[in-house]
Amino acid sequence: MPSDQPTALERFINGILPENPIYRQLLGMCPVLAVTNGMKPAMTMAAATAFVLICANVMVSLIRGLLKPHLRILVFTLTIATFVTIADRLLAAYVYDMSKQLGPYVPLIIVNCIIISRCEICASKQGAGVAIADAFGMSLGFALALASIATVREILGSGTWLGLPVLPAGWPGWGIMVLPPGAFLTLGLLLGMAEWASQRRAAVKRQGGGTR
Amino acid sequence: MGEPEAGGGEAPGRGHALAMDTLATLILIFVGAALINNFVLHYFVGICPFLGVSRRVDTAFGMGCAVTFVISIAALLNWTFTYFVLRPGAPLPAWVWAAAGGDPATQVDLSVLSYIIYIFVIASSVQLVEMYVRKFFPPLYRSFGVYLPLITTNCAILFACLEIMKHMQDPTKVWGLHEALALAVGGGIGFTLAISLMAGIREELDLCEVPRPLKGAGIALIVAGIMAMAFMGFTGVDKGVHAALSALLR
Amino acid sequence: MSAAPPRGGYLKQAWLVIVLSLVYGGGLAAVQTTLSGRIADNRRAETYDVIPELVPGGDKGKTEELLVQGADGKDVRLYQVFAADGSHRGWVLPAGGQGFADRIDLLVGLSADGATITGLYVLAQKETPGLGDYITGEDFRRRFAGRPAGEPLVVVKSDPRADNEIRALSGATISSESVAAIVNAALANLREAIGAGGDSPQGVQETAPRQQAH
Repeated sequence: MPSDQPTALERFINGILPENPIYRQLLGMCPVLAVTNGMKPAMTMAAATAFVLICANVMVSLIRGLLKPHLRILVFTLTIATFVTIADRLLAAYVYDMSKQLGPYVPLIIVNCIIISRCEICASKQGAGVAIADAFGMSLGFALALASIATVREILGSGTWLGLPVLPAGWPGWGIMVLPPGAFLTLGLLLGMAEWASQRRAAVKRQGGGTR
Repeated sequence: MGEPEAGGGEAPGRGHALAMDTLATLILIFVGAALINNFVLHYFVGICPFLGVSRRVDTAFGMGCAVTFVISIAALLNWTFTYFVLRPGAPLPAWVWAAAGGDPATQVDLSVLSYIIYIFVIASSVQLVEMYVRKFFPPLYRSFGVYLPLITTNCAILFACLEIMKHMQDPTKVWGLHEALALAVGGGIGFTLAISLMAGIREELDLCEVPRPLKGAGIALIVAGIMAMAFMGFTGVDKGVHAALSALLR
Repeated sequence: MSAAPPRGGYLKQAWLVIVLSLVYGGGLAAVQTTLSGRIADNRRAETYDVIPELVPGGDKGKTEELLVQGADGKDVRLYQVFAADGSHRGWVLPAGGQGFADRIDLLVGLSADGATITGLYVLAQKETPGLGDYITGEDFRRRFAGRPAGEPLVVVKSDPRADNEIRALSGATISSESVAAIVNAALANLREAIGAGGDSPQGVQETAPRQQAH
């Protein structure tokens, strides 16, 4: 194994914040906007994506020696589509209400750029252990990003969190937050905040020469 | 309109009413997919190209047209597969099962293979379109660059196929090819509309003082939110269109 | 894509894809066989679980599914509800149509003689959150119980004075009117098929009565 490639631990930590798939890489935006009107659907989607990402990464890294260069995207897509079908069926069997609420967004995991890009960047080049760590890190980062957006939207929009009321009953409930415009605005503002935080950290680093 | 009121049961009158009904349904599906439930601003599919390719109006419009073209082809092929092979109660698997001596009462359901077949048909459609554009419109092909193959991962196309599949699950009311194409073409045109509008706005934004943290994706999403609010004004339009069409076409 | 055929021919290049397709296909078939029963049960439970609420005294284990032809010529699947002792308690009709924002799907409960609405349940709706989506609430649905099924329901903004008047949800008149319109349309479409006045449906094809094992 070449020693200049990131280790498993590095891959894991990378996925959570430094290379967060939503806030830093801007991949996989479609489910982020669609399922974050509540914490429950957001976490279900995060779990489904994690399942597909981990299984696909493991599978691809196991067969990485057999991949032909110009057919590899085909193989990735086949693998991902299979695991997405399995995830979709599992959801329909065990959490039917959530499955109905998530609707077409579970099969849309197939075209979620996060998974294909992880297969391409990590799983097709490194062993199963590293691939699993990478998948876990990315899934955790994805779940955190979804949770941040869903929290804002659900609390402001319905006054609840995970279905439990957290705001006084008099809260009017900003209906716009659970509708499409609220999704776009929330994500735009949170992205702006994340970008501001990272720009400030870069400025501090440049000024202080590494002092945190 | 001068025509006698079509009484129930008269063959030509009933046929006329049925044709008008179908036309009204098609118009409603089309307008619904393009404006009321716009793929980008209501269903959140196709966001990646929406944010990525919407810098200039001509590229955005070209991308929109390419996506519309690919959606139509993919919907056509996927509808055919779904109708004959993949839906519950499809004729081909039942025929093969019966020919192989299976019990005709058990229903053969191949819908578990749907997603795999859909994504492969989409990838093939994109390949087809790419080869076609490269052969007949080389300058267009060069200007598209890497974006054309990326249409495969465009959620909008798979989403259109999934919506069509959703309406083919109940054997008593299965969507025909005309309804599937109305949805696909309407969705593609809605996508083109949204992405061109966004490109126009972003061209103007380039001349504005956008705060640094919001430059790029941040401000694009906020603009998209305001656009989505505007498109929410179309809610309830289909009721009015339906009433108008009923009055007009009877 | 390169124009010249790859070295070794296409089979050598594609063998992995073919093998994987077979393996994955087998895996999916296994998943389908294991889970499809559960999924079908879930789908059915969606409707059957609310039958006792829609038709008082109804036993979901004794409900029969029928395929009838409505007045518009299209087939409709409806449910004939019996009590645990076998007596006919009523009907459950699926109904659907355009709401304010998007499609609304409902179930309407009817008494055995088809003359009174016994309940309403909203299966799917996408109305405005906080306003129109209160049509799923008990308060609104209760307004339909006990109404006559023989005449079209009318939605009014003040207190209802006639039997067939329903008070609209405040701030969601169009959603309320849509629900009433959907109910009216379904009743008008299926009145003949149910044979209001008797419990022997006319023009009915019976699907095989479901063996309930709940």
